[in-house]
Order: sequence, then structure tokens, then C-alpha cells
Amino acid sequence: MSETRVTAIDALPGEFMMWVLIMSELAVFGAGLIVFSAVRLTDLSGFADAQAQLHTVGAGVNTVVLVTSGWLAARAVGLAEKGRVRATRVSLGGAAALGVVFLWIKGAEYADKAAAGINFETHSFFTFYYLLTGFHAAHVIAGLVIFALVAWKCQPRLVETGAQFWHMVDLVWLLLFPVLYLVGRV
Amino acid sequence: MKYPTQKIAFWYFLVAMILFAVQVTVGLTMGWVYVDGNFLHDILPFNVLRMLHSNSLIVWLLLGFFGAAYYLVPEESERDIHSPKLAYLQLAIFVLGTAGVVFTYVFNLFEGNWLLGKEGREFLEQPKWVKAGIVVAALIFLYNISMTVLKGRKTAITNILLLGLWGLALLFLFAFYNPANLALDKQYWWYVVHLWVEGTWELVMASILAFLMLKLTGVDREVVEKWLYVIAALALFSGILGTGHHYYWIGTPGYWQWIGSVFSTLEVAPFFAMMAFAFVMVWKGRRDHPNKAALLWSLGCATLAFFGAGVWGFLHTLHGVNFYTHGTQITAAHGHLAFYGAYVALNLAIITYAMPLLKGREPFNQVLNMASFWLMSGGVVFMTFTLTFAGTVQTHLQRVNGEGFMDVQDQLWIFFVMRFGSGVAVVLGAILFIYAVLKPRREVIDPGPVEQARLQETPAE
Amino acid sequence: MDVTRAWVTLMALSALATALAVFGQGATWAVLAILVAAWIKARVVLRAYLGLAGAPDWSRGFSLVLGLFMLAIMGLSAFT
Repeated sequence: MSETRVTAIDALPGEFMMWVLIMSELAVFGAGLIVFSAVRLTDLSGFADAQAQLHTVGAGVNTVVLVTSGWLAARAVGLAEKGRVRATRVSLGGAAALGVVFLWIKGAEYADKAAAGINFETHSFFTFYYLLTGFHAAHVIAGLVIFALVAWKCQPRLVETGAQFWHMVDLVWLLLFPVLYLVGRV
Repeated sequence: MKYPTQKIAFWYFLVAMILFAVQVTVGLTMGWVYVDGNFLHDILPFNVLRMLHSNSLIVWLLLGFFGAAYYLVPEESERDIHSPKLAYLQLAIFVLGTAGVVFTYVFNLFEGNWLLGKEGREFLEQPKWVKAGIVVAALIFLYNISMTVLKGRKTAITNILLLGLWGLALLFLFAFYNPANLALDKQYWWYVVHLWVEGTWELVMASILAFLMLKLTGVDREVVEKWLYVIAALALFSGILGTGHHYYWIGTPGYWQWIGSVFSTLEVAPFFAMMAFAFVMVWKGRRDHPNKAALLWSLGCATLAFFGAGVWGFLHTLHGVNFYTHGTQITAAHGHLAFYGAYVALNLAIITYAMPLLKGREPFNQVLNMASFWLMSGGVVFMTFTLTFAGTVQTHLQRVNGEGFMDVQDQLWIFFVMRFGSGVAVVLGAILFIYAVLKPRREVIDPGPVEQARLQETPAE
Repeated sequence: MDVTRAWVTLMALSALATALAVFGQGATWAVLAILVAAWIKARVVLRAYLGLAGAPDWSRGFSLVLGLFMLAIMGLSAFT
């Protein structure tokens, strides 16, 4: 009995505790998106009007940025396992740089909203928009810190754990983007 | 008992149990105030009784945690406590502070005094000098325990225990910050109240439970540690932002309603994990530990914590529901079962485990102790149901129909009578527990033939 | 699937979703198609980037929960 459980955990690739975090994060964002979608049904036109003020193109570019960043992070894991420290760091640096680009584009959108006088309380669409994208952006920032740490130590196991976190951030965005930006546009 | 300084725990447990008796007695008195309406109202008004009830609860639970730490840290770190003298000094400060608190609440001689007067913030009513004493005692404790751990073997159990205890002490500092703005006051107040019971205390609970499972079931330390880390991670992940479920109606921005609802729903997860942990460990256990009462309390703790903190918490945590149920008897139902399951039962579990060893009385069946478990737990569960029904009726009459508070209270009378009855069972159970732990010298039930044959094949520890 | 092929797949699906958003004009079928693309993308990240392809039992568990989630989102989005 005891053995099967341990092997079930061992079957998960990478650091188990990171998986616990990933599952917790997915539960939170998943719940947030479902609640958002349900609340939208109570005010379809209000949500559509609010959504029309978003920068869909910028967010679309951000999808490409983050997906490419994830690819670099995944490559870094392979390079670290081969012991190629320099190439690993270059790859991680590239992933982190794209993370900064993501934040820059996101920041530009936030600044635009602020300039237009839009905030948390403007409409319940924006409450969810700021909660979900803001929480996600906070994870991007955390990911940059994690990249710095694992690039510094540059051990394969750590690089893999850092990349796991980044892929979770990537995955969350891939689900946030269509639901927040695309669904419900008229 | 392998290390002489573990004996310190005995005195902590003893004071804890005395305060436990005080707490439930005051609780029963309050139960009668609900029935009678004016009982003791000139001598000990309800608000004073309530302060005594909640404050003595918190202090005895803390003393139990401290006792548990003094008991388990030597075994985990494989060395004696750094300074027994400091440990007894710490206990003396707590006893003095507790006496001061009771004196201040009951006689209220220093109303409004900056240093000596009670502070009037629910649960944090202690006068400033007592608060300062708590901080000094906590510092002594942390110094003592940290030094012991640092010099000895480091385990996941002591790591998580220390994380919880340090967090607990640091968060208490918010008790000193008391802004004039009532919304801000409440906001910081929850940093102590919520981040204790739904954050740091959960870490303490998980590590003590892990220690008990390690000892009682004999499962590999490696397996126990993996569970412990997962539980601690889930508790912090959900508990910290779960504070939001207290921010629905105190003047904080509206987004807290969603943060609070989502994260506090996830707060069920660590309690579910703790229940799963306890049962899986027992199923997989290779050891047949004679202290069945400690095992009963451990499983009871994990189960009732899941229902009291997890299920009954979720019951009214979504803001759409809480809008109606806030501050009704539903809250009281949740509060009683959650505190009983998570922290009372946990303390009674470690006391039940440690006391026979501290008093040199093993082997020890503790049948009386097990009887007290069923009596006390039955009482609290019955109380939880009556209060839940009372709260449901109250929510409908008061919040949906809009009837006046006192009119509704009158209509809840029958529930308060039933609650008083369940309170009697709890008090009797508590007295039986204390008697069972302190008094009988020898209480062993001879195992039957089947059990005897099994015991011979697999000798207990 | 190696990580580079996963990247190409993700980029292609993003391009498809963009096209659907532009030309679909918010029609229900376009919304659902966009969500299906997101569903596939999520599976690619889980299997290729997070390595669940090598852990079939876990992969099935994640697929099930992801599937239920996507169906819930699609159900709630079909009426917009």
C-alpha cells in the first residue's frame, strides 16, 4: 500500500511540492474564471461594453510572448540536464526577458485603464479583470525572481522546478486570455 | 519519556487543564444566561462571561501547544530543552497574566487606564501589561525552543512547528496596533485572530498530529514528512488570503468578497488532507501502540476539525450566503465545532499521549479517557447541530423576514435549552477527562484471546 | 512531442484563435472554437512542457479535471 502511494508521487515529473502549488493555483484561477463566466450571465451587455475597452491586440501579443518564453524555459531544462551551464543561463535569461516584455505590455494596458479612470470598482467586469490578471502578473514577477535564483545556482533539478512554475504561469494565461478578452465580444 | 526536561510539559498540561475546566464552566454558565435571560446579570454580565470563556480557551490552548512543544521537541531534536528554568519562568508569567486578566475583567477597577485597563477589542481585551507579558513569555519560549532545535537534530516536524510558533508570536504584535478608524482596527485585528487560527495554528496542529502519527502508528518518518509539507503548504496557500472572508462587510473594497470566497473555500483542503493523513497512517501503521485513547483523540481531532473548520466553515463562507448568515448562531455553531475539533481535541490528544509517559504509568488503556472523548465530542456535536438549526431559523426570521433581534431570540428559546443540555455533557466530559488523566494509577483492560495472540506475534513498542 | 514542436503547435493554435476572433464576429460557434483551441493548448502545456506525457495516470486525472472545467466555461460562454 505504502509503496504504491510513494511511486504515484514519484511518477510526477519534477518537484512534487511544486505540483502541489500548481494544483492549488489552477484551482484558484479555475474557480475565478468559472465565477467570472457565471456572473457575466447576469449582465451580458455591461460585461461586453466593459470588455470592449480592453487591448485585445496587446494581450494577443502577450500570448505569443509568454508561449515563446515557456519554450525557452523548457529548453533550459534540457540544457541544464546536459550540464551546459552557459547555454542554460542564456535560455533562462531569454525566458525572463520575455517575461519582462509581458509585464511591460500588461503595465501599458493598466496605465491606459488608469488614465481612462477605470479601476476595480468601475464595473464588476473590471473587478474580475484586475483580480485575475493582477494575480497572474504577480506570478510573472515571482517567476522572474525564481529564474534569477535557479540561473544563479544552475542545478538541473532547480532549473526544472523553476520551469515548472513558469509553465503554470503560461498555462493560466492561455486560459485567462480567451475567457477575459475574447468570449462575449459582439 | 526519554529526556528529563520533557517533564516541563506536565506542568503546562496541568495549568492548561485547569483553565480548560474554567472555560467550559463559564461556557455552561453562559448557556444558562441564554435560557434564563438575566442570570447573573448584575454580578457577571454576559460580555464579561464571554471574555472569560474565549480568553481562557485561547490561553489554555496556547499552554497546551507550549507543553506539546516542550514534550516533543526533545524527542525530535534528541536532546534536552535548552533551559528548563526559562521554561518555568515562562509558565509563571502566563499564570500571572491569566490571573491579572481574570481580575481585570471581573472587577474592572482600571477602566480606561492605558496600562491596566481592559482594551475592549473582542478576544484582545487583555490590558496592555498582560499583552507585554505575553510577548515576553513568547520570546522566552521561542528562544528556548529554537536553541534546542538548532543544537539538535532538525526534522520536518520541528521545522513546521517552529514556523507556526514564530508566526504566531510575530502576528500577535498586531494586537498592539489599535487604529481609531474602526474599519482599519478590524482589518488588523484579523491579522491576529484569523492568521492565528486559520494559518499559524494549523501549522502547529499539523506538526503535533504528525508527531502523534509517527509515534502511534509507526509509519516511516519519510512518509509522514511528505504529508506534513503538503498540509502546511495547503494551509498557508489558502489561509493567508482566506482572511478575505472577514473583509466582506467591514468597509474594505468589494474585491475582497471574491478573494475571500475563493481562497476560504480552499481552506477546506488542508483540513481534508489532515483527516486523510490521520486515517491513511492508521491503516498503514505497522505498530500496535497500547495508548488507544491517544489514537482515538487523534482521529477524532482530524475528523471533527474537518467537519467543524472545513464543512461548517464553508457553510457560510461564500459572501452571497454570509450576507444573510453573518453573526447569527451559524457562526457560533462553526466556532464551537471548529475550535473543539481542531485545537481542543488536538491538545487533549497530545495530553492523552504524553501524560501516562510523564507520570510513568504505561501500559495504560485509559478507558475512562475514551469515555470522556465520546461524552465530550457527543456534547459538542449535539451543540453544533442545535446552534446550526437555531442559526437557520434566526437567519430566516431576522435577515429574510426582517423581525427584531430580541423577538427572534425569544423564538430560539427551545434551541438554547437543548444547547444547555449538550453543555452539561461537555462539562461532565471535561471533568471526566481531567480525572482520567490525573488520578487512576492503573487501568488496564486485559486483551481477549485473539488480541493476545496477535500481540505476541507483533510486540508493541 | 518535444518542446519545440509543442511551441509550434501553441503558436499555430494562437494564430487560429486570433483568426476566429477576427472573422468569427463573436458568433457562438467561433467562441466555442476559440475555447476548444485554448483547451488543446492547455493540454499541450501540461503534457509537453510540464512533462505529464510521461506520467499517464496523472495525465488522465488532469485531463479529466481540465475537461470538466472547459465544459463548464463553454457552457457558461455559449449564451453570450
